[in-house]
Amino acid sequence: MKVSLKNISLALSIVTFSTVVLTSCSDNNSTGWEFAPNMYNSRAYEPLTQWRKNIINADGKDMRSPVAGTISRANYQTSFLQDDSTVVNDLMVYNLPKDSIAVAEVTLKNPIPWSDKAEEEGKVLYERNCLHCHGEKGAGDGAVGKVYKGVPNYASDAYKNMNDGHIFHVITYGKGRMWSHASQVNPEERWKIVHYVHRLQLGN
Amino acid sequence: MIENNSSVVLQSEKVGILHYINMIRKFYKSILALSVAVSISIGYVAAQDSTSIASAAPAGGGDVAKGEGLFKNNCAQCHAVTAEVVVGPGLAGIEERRDYAWLKNWINNPMGVIGSGDKYANELYLKYNKTQMTAFAAFGDEEVKSILAYVKSASTPVATAPVAGAVATTPAETGGGTFINVILVALLVIMGLVLVALLGILQLLNRLSGADAGAADTSLSFGEKLQASFKNIAANKTVRSAIVWAFILLATKATFDGMYGIGVHQGYAPKQPIAFSHKLHAGEMKINCAYCHTGVYKGKQSGIPSANICMNCHNAIKRESPEIQKIYTAIETNKPIEWVRVHNLPDLAYFNHAQHTNVGGLECKNCHGEIEKMEVVQQRSSLTMGWCIDCHRKSEVNGKDNGYYAKLMEAHSAVSKGAMKVQDNGGLECAKCHY
Repeated sequence: MKVSLKNISLALSIVTFSTVVLTSCSDNNSTGWEFAPNMYNSRAYEPLTQWRKNIINADGKDMRSPVAGTISRANYQTSFLQDDSTVVNDLMVYNLPKDSIAVAEVTLKNPIPWSDKAEEEGKVLYERNCLHCHGEKGAGDGAVGKVYKGVPNYASDAYKNMNDGHIFHVITYGKGRMWSHASQVNPEERWKIVHYVHRLQLGN
Repeated sequence: MIENNSSVVLQSEKVGILHYINMIRKFYKSILALSVAVSISIGYVAAQDSTSIASAAPAGGGDVAKGEGLFKNNCAQCHAVTAEVVVGPGLAGIEERRDYAWLKNWINNPMGVIGSGDKYANELYLKYNKTQMTAFAAFGDEEVKSILAYVKSASTPVATAPVAGAVATTPAETGGGTFINVILVALLVIMGLVLVALLGILQLLNRLSGADAGAADTSLSFGEKLQASFKNIAANKTVRSAIVWAFILLATKATFDGMYGIGVHQGYAPKQPIAFSHKLHAGEMKINCAYCHTGVYKGKQSGIPSANICMNCHNAIKRESPEIQKIYTAIETNKPIEWVRVHNLPDLAYFNHAQHTNVGGLECKNCHGEIEKMEVVQQRSSLTMGWCIDCHRKSEVNGKDNGYYAKLMEAHSAVSKGAMKVQDNGGLECAKCHY
């Protein structure tokens, strides 16, 4: 009995000692030793990383803002083959101002012809960008929507007939409590989301 | 164990201990039964109260039922039936404030009423920060009347609750709390019993060892006994050499581990300038990773969200929190938030998010672990070359419906029976990642 007690205490002390040794060196706030640290904190400028003050740019940032008046080039698809084999070029310089939702409703039409694939892609984009507020079925019951409040039900009477231009304009500029999502989804993606929102307006 | 040893000690002592244990058992059982009974009865009371409240809603006929459906579908997103402000004003007592004709007009065309110069409408519009109410032009008299009937019936019992339903509602509201309290008390009692049982066992062991060692030891205090036994252990040669060897082995292992860990940031979880919780945002709120990390399916970098994305929700949610105020300060002073980068590959290796997420179909958690459970983000994977290569050896190329891979898959199946792995597609080529 006594011998086994000793063994147990010995084993316990070894375990404690080794855990202390193995864990004492780790600090969550430190990356630990690095071989060739210049490879981790590059001297060359990198996107989304800056580890020391930039001495050339006045504000100390590596990143520079574009010159005032710069127009971004579209880095997404703008030319779509229609069902009647014509091609619609959605070279949209979308310059309707925020308060022109009525104009958007009349003038804009989805340049992407409906297809299962387009709607499916719209669904994926909806799940990434809209679902947490608007809910899985567009009923306004997403987890964030419940806290944020004021998220409508797409299938309700006032919303079920909203057309392409309206939905596109709302994603671009926001409406009511919703803010602009133009920086997160580009026009091509917005048009795909429009297809899926039309599906949700059916309410099933 | 106890049974075996107690056969050595006197029979009367054994009987005494067993009796003691039995008593504990009985006591424990009765407490458990009592707590179960109490919790069940409280649950029953709570359930009864909730049903009585539901049935207490005044009967208004089919109108109310229809109004309820309409209200929940169209109005509940912004208005409560109580006086609580959700987005727009609470609707309790709305019919006392405005007459029917005005309400009907307003619901059909709120902006029209505001445009007509109606004083009340304009004040309301300004009071709620010029938030436009959706026009429900399709609602006729029937719809508006049933909605109003529902609002009236739903807001009435709440308004009169302090008078009529005070006795009934109070236990229902606190029922959940009492239930938890009962569970807590029961747990405490159980813990106390366990403590008592442990003490009993300790006493028993003491008695047994006392019987082994003889009467001489009993005069020594516990501390002295402990000291003596430590001296015994330290004097033992085998023990000493074992400790030395254990130390040498551990030191060797620690050295090797340390050397292998150079440049590996696994476990790195730096404190961030804003205490952003992925557990809350990605876990509880179920916000998709790509909502904030917008580049993750499109580019090399997944990206760190700019403050405007935070503001999509935090223009309204938790504005007064000091952590959220840091975002406001960053925007107002036009200074970027200096997040600390967690996952950082050395420049000698190239990694592209889009290739892995969009083309390869990997999920974020494959490499980043369960981010949705992390209060502070930690680097879970080692990001060593061995870790990359291991996955490239195991993973199959998902070439389904991907024209880019069609001919490659064909060529692969011509020479090999197995599925095409990433390594068959040059996933082990040095220059794929090192150039």
